[in-house]
Amino acid sequence: MKIIDRLTKIDRRIIYLILIVVVALPLIVPSVEKVRVMAPVEKLFNAIENIPEEKALIIDFDYAPQTAPELDPMGFALLRHVFKTRVKLIVISLYVQPLGLAQKALTEVIEEYNSEAQTHEDSIVYGRDYVFLGWVPPPIIPILGMGESITNVYQVDYYGNRTDTLELMRSIKNYNDVGLLISLSGGNPPKWWVQFAQSKFGLPIGAGVTAVSASEFYPYLQSGQFSGLMIGMKGAAEYEEIIERELNIKRERKASEALPSLTYAHLVIIVFIVIGNIGYLIKRRSK
Amino acid sequence: MNISLDPWIWISALLTVSIFSFLYRDNPFYRFAEHIFVGVANGWAVTFYWHNILVPSLFDPLFRRGQLLLIIPFIIGILYLTRFIPRVSWLVRIPIGITMGYYVGASIPADVQAYIIKQTQGTILTSQNFQAWNAGNMGVVWSIILFVGVICTLSYFYFSKEHKGVLGITSRIGIIFVMIGFGAAFGYTVMARISLLIGRLQFLLGDWLGVIH
Repeated sequence: MKIIDRLTKIDRRIIYLILIVVVALPLIVPSVEKVRVMAPVEKLFNAIENIPEEKALIIDFDYAPQTAPELDPMGFALLRHVFKTRVKLIVISLYVQPLGLAQKALTEVIEEYNSEAQTHEDSIVYGRDYVFLGWVPPPIIPILGMGESITNVYQVDYYGNRTDTLELMRSIKNYNDVGLLISLSGGNPPKWWVQFAQSKFGLPIGAGVTAVSASEFYPYLQSGQFSGLMIGMKGAAEYEEIIERELNIKRERKASEALPSLTYAHLVIIVFIVIGNIGYLIKRRSK
Repeated sequence: MNISLDPWIWISALLTVSIFSFLYRDNPFYRFAEHIFVGVANGWAVTFYWHNILVPSLFDPLFRRGQLLLIIPFIIGILYLTRFIPRVSWLVRIPIGITMGYYVGASIPADVQAYIIKQTQGTILTSQNFQAWNAGNMGVVWSIILFVGVICTLSYFYFSKEHKGVLGITSRIGIIFVMIGFGAAFGYTVMARISLLIGRLQFLLGDWLGVIH
């Protein structure tokens, strides 16, 4: 009985310590875990691949630093895919906090491509290949307004340029010229895009969401309202895998490198849940 | 090991460690980091909204460029502050009413379309929905499970009749689906929280201590 008593009363600090060690060790001594790409991520990849040449992709960066470990790798992987396949790209944000994270992701990925580019044509050029429109509050204004005119909603871009002077924006007027919008979010924005932009203008929507909100978003995939879905760090790792497998994009895979830590941490938590329940059942029977 | 020499990395690393120290117990380092966070977040938000919303969208056009129509939203906005003056605090209902009216009007048709009609369509047993699972012949089975789950869960939340007979059976099946949903949500929550811990450890071990690359 003493052992059972001890097991059911493990000091929470010991559990924290074990978790930190279990998460840290696979990061220090990296191991490879095979990533199996699931249907929702494959659908999202295909949705980008199927965007017609004349149409653009909008990526809505809507996450703050507290959810960046899950959503940042998605943003990086998406940008690598988009710049490799040269889909016209518009980057926006519905909130102010994500602007810095979006800017950082754009700068780093563009630097990767441009450092290898041989000519101006090969390079990723602002205004021609992508635009960063920044942020216009409140969220419902850009979501509804872009259905009429994108340059009316965003009259100047993130850097202060007039958007109607940007080459890319001359051919992209409103949602009729957008093939897909992907919302990377730690909250409700993917639902707002479905609620307002899709139901009113028929805009195809994809999403990358945190694991904590996954069960909330799955129904939109099954009903066809989402064209694809990435969930948490695992979803990001799957996207890193699919762009490497299909497009030979071999870059840093931050989410894939973290998967062993995620797996071992889950195993530890399962073990503690089982121990706790066994202890509880034995104690209840002995009463 | 390649420890960072960047002072900003050191500041964020020490603040992270201070916040983590709460896992042991409450202590002055944790409280210091917490107060810094609250202060910086508030200071940043106030200055950001001042410089990026109020000045360019309201004060500059109204007072410098003479767009006098903006006086109307300016006054409506100011009415929010009347809640601090008990004698005229009822005036706060005006901006709240306008905001609510706008959002409710915009949301109701969109909600019906996006959340009720489309989700109901996704639940109906059609060949299109069978294929949506990407599971071959199993798509039929998954669609039936989804259909049964939705009907039984809805019946669990029907409280106008005692849960006996057929309603008793369907509501008991419904609660099983609800529990499975809670279990899945809990599992995903664990995954999300561990992911955040991984992110912080990648920063501490990589950017700060240089143990990982």
